Amino acid sequence: MLIVVDPQSGVPVYRQLMDQIKFHVASGLAKPGDELPSTRTLSAELGVNPMTISKAYSFLEREGVIERRPGRPLIVSGVAPDEFRSRKIDQLREGLRPAVTVARQLGVQRSEAVRIFEEMFDDAADDPDRGTEEGTE
Amino acid sequence: MNVLEFDDIHRAYERGRDVLHGVSFGLAGGEVVGLLGKNGAGKTTLIRIAMGMLEAQRGSVRVFGLDPRGEPIEVKRRVGYVSEDQILPPFLTVREVVDLHRELFPTWDDGMAGSLATRFGLPPRARIAKLSKGQARQVALLCAVSHRPELLLLDEPAGGLDPAARREFLEASIDLLNEAGSTILFSSHYMTDVERMARRVVMIHQGNVLVDRGLDDLRENHCVALVPREAGASREALAGLEGCLGVRERSDALHAVFALDPGSSCALIERELGVSGVNCRNVGLEEMFIELVGGQS
Repeated sequence: MLIVVDPQSGVPVYRQLMDQIKFHVASGLAKPGDELPSTRTLSAELGVNPMTISKAYSFLEREGVIERRPGRPLIVSGVAPDEFRSRKIDQLREGLRPAVTVARQLGVQRSEAVRIFEEMFDDAADDPDRGTEEGTE
Repeated sequence: MNVLEFDDIHRAYERGRDVLHGVSFGLAGGEVVGLLGKNGAGKTTLIRIAMGMLEAQRGSVRVFGLDPRGEPIEVKRRVGYVSEDQILPPFLTVREVVDLHRELFPTWDDGMAGSLATRFGLPPRARIAKLSKGQARQVALLCAVSHRPELLLLDEPAGGLDPAARREFLEASIDLLNEAGSTILFSSHYMTDVERMARRVVMIHQGNVLVDRGLDDLRENHCVALVPREAGASREALAGLEGCLGVRERSDALHAVFALDPGSSCALIERELGVSGVNCRNVGLEEMFIELVGGQS
């Protein structure tokens, strides 16, 4: 599971970790039952305070994204297909939020913004490196 | 009981000019706190007071509940210390310096010292005088942590190190945190290192604690508000609002730091001052630091 930390971004490090793990899960890159690196390992790899990793893991556990098992590594939780789909939509909403803000600030019409989204969506599908159909129902 | 406790610390180098003017805060066991402030803010003075190297002229410091000047040996055995201008005996070899420290500390861990020496690639037979600045700092760190101190005091430990050496130093400190759960107070001008290491920051400005917050709280519940000049709000009016920590005047806008999330800050400013076009956003530590200490002097 590829996780990177940008200490200069306006987003707290624990949030960055949570967002990336959730993205991995929603995109299907991390599957139910996959093990997560221990707090220690991830802390050493990323050069981040172990308490920050624990905080991210605790929140993810509370949200049901990952599961703690006594004395064993944390794993990605199993999810019902509906839940999986709704998580994807949540991720998409998060990703689109800044774009909506920019569109509003620039005074771009709703219909035009939608048209641009559709155009870019189709363009990405033509790009051989992106927009593969993997993981869609 | 806190591992380290500063209570109303005053210290001046010239009569009537306090560097520290009533500084109070404490570190609980296992906490990692970044100590921030401009050059000359008194960070080094404070850390030296904790080490018992300097005496506070008023107020008290307690390390494990002890007075570091009253019980220096007991305190120093349980503390590790690295500073930017630390001087190791130049005529000794790396091995001799390490041996010297082993003698001094009953809790010395050879395994840890050995693995750090390997990790840093320190030549055991080289004389300290022949080492690069980065290597000398790594020897100091190795000596500071290999007795597994309960409290680590780092005074600008990465100052003057290249980015790779700085990262090594950071990772070694994190290892110590993982292995021993040590309490750490470190001063640094490298905000990215602070963001990685610390869970809490204490910012000293003009002799006092200006900010003492959890780092995540600072990131999420503090913001910088940009109020355009043409909105007509005054610096004083902005500074008088509840939650405003500082205002900085720029050519085209006033920059104000608020101890509130961006949405609430914008709403407050627009409601109380009757202005519009205010832009509030969360910022990283570096920008927050500049906005705060730039807005106070």
